Amino acid sequence: MEGNIEVLKGAIALIGYGLAAVGPGVGIGIVVGNAITAMARQPEMAGTIRTTMFLGIAFTEALALIGFVLFFIA
Amino acid sequence: MDQLILASEECDVVNEVICAPADVKELFEFTDVIFSIGPLGFTRTIILFFLAAFVVVGLLYFGLRKRRMVPSKFGVVIESLLDFVKNGIAKDIIGPEGARYVPYLTAIFLFILVGNLFEVTPLINFPITSRMAIPAFLAIVTYVIFVFIGFGRNKFRYLLDTVWPKHVPIGLRWLVGLIELVSIFLLRPFTLAVRLFANMVAGHLMLTLLLGSGVIFLSAFPEIGLKALVGIPWFALGLGIYLFEIVVSVLQAYIFTLLSAVYIQSSVHFEH
Repeated sequence: MEGNIEVLKGAIALIGYGLAAVGPGVGIGIVVGNAITAMARQPEMAGTIRTTMFLGIAFTEALALIGFVLFFIA
Repeated sequence: MDQLILASEECDVVNEVICAPADVKELFEFTDVIFSIGPLGFTRTIILFFLAAFVVVGLLYFGLRKRRMVPSKFGVVIESLLDFVKNGIAKDIIGPEGARYVPYLTAIFLFILVGNLFEVTPLINFPITSRMAIPAFLAIVTYVIFVFIGFGRNKFRYLLDTVWPKHVPIGLRWLVGLIELVSIFLLRPFTLAVRLFANMVAGHLMLTLLLGSGVIFLSAFPEIGLKALVGIPWFALGLGIYLFEIVVSVLQAYIFTLLSAVYIQSSVHFEH
């Protein structure tokens, strides 16, 4: 079993990335869901809402992407 | 293409079910100098970098060369792209003052768009924005612009109101100020660069793994027999991801430009 420390490290990094993806997954769901509700209520505001939705997604997504980069660094 | 051939030699098609390169870095690092001018060695990434710049200049030149009452089809595409950045991003986000920043926003939008779309261009297949140097540099340019505007318009009050916001209850001011300080001056450029970089790295990795595995398994049919059918789902999934990556490329160029505009706007209209 010796020499498997690299494998173990890779496995832990995988788990870390999985954990990092949970929060942003929920967050993006909330952002998009609420944006759809808003667009359905006021279709005339759809353009503004879509821009704001992409902004919200971009900010939320950053955490998952940092996790993804750390997975390769680790 | 060399990378794919390299991977097919390493890939153990008899025992594995998917071909992964031994080290992910070899998909992104092209250290072979193709030609050099003086001390500057041109690797594949640098050549693609200049190619992207020339493509952008060429698109703008040939799209806007003859301004006619009824533009050609190509001209309509270019004009609608420019109009999208001008009205959809600059004026929408920054307001009437946004006209000053239209050239910068147009430049980064088109450059990132072309650089991202290299990922799904046949025979190139490499997004230059998946090398950290390029998104990092673009993010630093945006950072310098919004910090300069912030200090230029609001003088020293820009820094002072950031660390000591007047609209927050006094007990919490130091905490909010600290968070704002770190977020504006450290996290903004960092996340701006990492967002683009990580998206393109993820896309390039998925495309290479899936399409590469598909091709390698299917082409190994004479050796491994029916096991070559493993390549079909990989190839099909790869084609699906291929379409998805076109959307991601456009969306990431849009988001980078949008966030640059938002950051510039937060410096132009600095009222806390």
